Amino acid sequence: MYRYDEFDHAFVSARVEQFKDQVERRLSGELTEEQFRPLRLMNGVYLQLHAYMLRVAVPYGTLSSRQMHKLAHIARHYDRGYGHFTTRQNIQYNWPALKDIPAVLDELASVEMHALQTSGNCIRNVTADHFAGAAADEVGDPRPYAEILRQWSSMHPEFSYLPRKFKIAVTGADRDRAAIQVHDIGLHLKKNEAGELGFAVYVGGGQGRTPMVAKKIRDFLPVEDLLTYTTAIVRVYNLSGRRDNKYKARIKILVHETGTEEITRQIEAEWQAIKETDLKLPQQDVDAIDTYFAPPNLVQRPEGWSGLAAARKADHAFSAWVDQNVTPHKNPDYGVVTISLKPIGGIPGDATDAQMDLVADIAEKFSYDEIRVSHEQNLVLPHVAIADLRIVYDLLLTDGLATANAGLITDIISCPGLDYCALATARSIPVAQRISERFGNPERQADIGELKLKISGCINACGHHHVGHIGILGVEKKGEELYQISLGGSGDEICTIGDITGRGFSSEEIVDAIETIVDRYLEIRTDKEETFLATYRRVGAAPFKDALYSEVANAA
Amino acid sequence: MSDIEQPAGELWGREGFREDPYVTAETLEEAGDAPAVILPLVAWLGLTEEIRNASNRKIGVLVAPGESIEPLLPLLDSIPVIALQFPAFNDGRSYSKAELIKNQHHFKGELRAVGDVLIDQVAYMLRTGFDTMKVNHAVTLNRLAGHNLHDVPGYYQPGRGSHTVSGTYSWRRVPGA
Repeated sequence: MYRYDEFDHAFVSARVEQFKDQVERRLSGELTEEQFRPLRLMNGVYLQLHAYMLRVAVPYGTLSSRQMHKLAHIARHYDRGYGHFTTRQNIQYNWPALKDIPAVLDELASVEMHALQTSGNCIRNVTADHFAGAAADEVGDPRPYAEILRQWSSMHPEFSYLPRKFKIAVTGADRDRAAIQVHDIGLHLKKNEAGELGFAVYVGGGQGRTPMVAKKIRDFLPVEDLLTYTTAIVRVYNLSGRRDNKYKARIKILVHETGTEEITRQIEAEWQAIKETDLKLPQQDVDAIDTYFAPPNLVQRPEGWSGLAAARKADHAFSAWVDQNVTPHKNPDYGVVTISLKPIGGIPGDATDAQMDLVADIAEKFSYDEIRVSHEQNLVLPHVAIADLRIVYDLLLTDGLATANAGLITDIISCPGLDYCALATARSIPVAQRISERFGNPERQADIGELKLKISGCINACGHHHVGHIGILGVEKKGEELYQISLGGSGDEICTIGDITGRGFSSEEIVDAIETIVDRYLEIRTDKEETFLATYRRVGAAPFKDALYSEVANAA
Repeated sequence: MSDIEQPAGELWGREGFREDPYVTAETLEEAGDAPAVILPLVAWLGLTEEIRNASNRKIGVLVAPGESIEPLLPLLDSIPVIALQFPAFNDGRSYSKAELIKNQHHFKGELRAVGDVLIDQVAYMLRTGFDTMKVNHAVTLNRLAGHNLHDVPGYYQPGRGSHTVSGTYSWRRVPGA
């Protein structure tokens, strides 16, 4: 993975020193909360319902064991013993004291981490496929390009006061695990006919109150043009994006209102003017960054397969976990392990300090020191030998980290909602917990199969409900929490925005309503191979609406 | 931090504060016989070529964030100063305009930032091509007077007032001419 050099260390230290000074001035009263606000936001410090919240960047979701131990340490010493992994592959601490935050930033800097640009109308943490560098279906590792973009976007003098926040995602496989089509810029690393690497470029995707699937504006952009082309896109957006209405300020609205053809023309024209400038990437620099992400020297472990068969036969629970949470690796002796942070009835994405330490220890011994944070709020061990799966599973089991539900209905994405968030209009965590309990039976959820359920506690859609196979949006209506359901959304390479079923459901009704949808799916699927999404795409919303509204009406 | 009194109305540049030779007026008539005037974009564009190029007075132009700089681009050689407005600190359009005016279209005159500028933004402005700023933010004025620019030791992008460093990536720069 990428390692800071002196340049990076000096940069981050300078920022920490500046923030120390700002916090001191706030604590002494020299700065009012209003004056302090833009300064703290630049350092990832939000003011939430009950306390300040610190959002720490995990660039493209990649962590070393040392970094994970540090995150555990921060949770233990400066927070209440846990942290929350987010859909942006970041981690949030919910209870730090303002006076301690400069010390936390010092701690982070000591392991080459920071909280810069996790907030504000700037280019945010660049996200990537959480299986990057390991997945069997990968064309190229997207992380070197995410790292180049991370560096280039850090304190960008032209792009730090954009109309609104700006999110870039990069994927390196045809199977899109980074949801690039619901990002401001989505980059799909691919090879052209000559075998050269480049990107398909998507612009103008996003969720929030106006969900949109991104438009592909270029089928193949050579790697050397990554920064010039991105500059052209962001420059056109900075100049022309709407600033009169916060809810219409994202680039998706500009693309929609301008038209894909015209916006592409403007971007291409700007690009022609800057294509041959200093930002054109020399191959040697790309290679140098690439070297940091060289795959670990994986030891051949062919003995794993025979042992695995026996271990699976002996333990049904272990076997179910392998089926659900282990994904094929480039090297057939290895697997990619998803560590579910969705225990049945738990809070999606939360991990205790002890759990973080355990994951760090396991990664050090069994995953070549690498950990990933997924946008689905799980952790990933990217390089685990098949021969070590049993021991890794046993270790995870000791602290509730072996839930075999990756991709299943209880692997719920949920925003923090009204339990923490100042923007939320409804609670989302308790709904996630009750749904998880309702469907917690391992056989039942395995029978239901792949089903991505996502919950947001307000229209901002941090819980990605628009691209949930089943999405739930909590709103407030006449002082009551009301939950709208949408169906058929998907954040992968065939990206769709879910369709709203109709009137919402109360907090009491919502779990039953989800069960009604799932039961109808089980009745009408052609066979077990037809997933919920495939069924929905075949039959449309009608059978689900019928089930939903007639049954509830009958019950009432 | 010492509280250094800084008369508003003065102009700040890399060398420090200096008196602003320009007056800002809505029309040329309003400016009287002032030798250096800054006019709003529409008024400036309404001037004849002869008046714009007159040798006895300098006439600069003030551009609001929502106004396009396109009509100025063919005329850059005849403009002594372009002032880009920052009515609110979070309206960042003028950074991109600075980049276009200075770096893409090689404007040789003075590029000026006018308005609500936070101290943390000054370094960004210098890097995108601004030469001077006329600031109304008290904290910013104080910090500028104290030569505290809130800058960082290295940049991850090319920009004005910085140079390349050997042995590192092409996009990196360090401060200095």
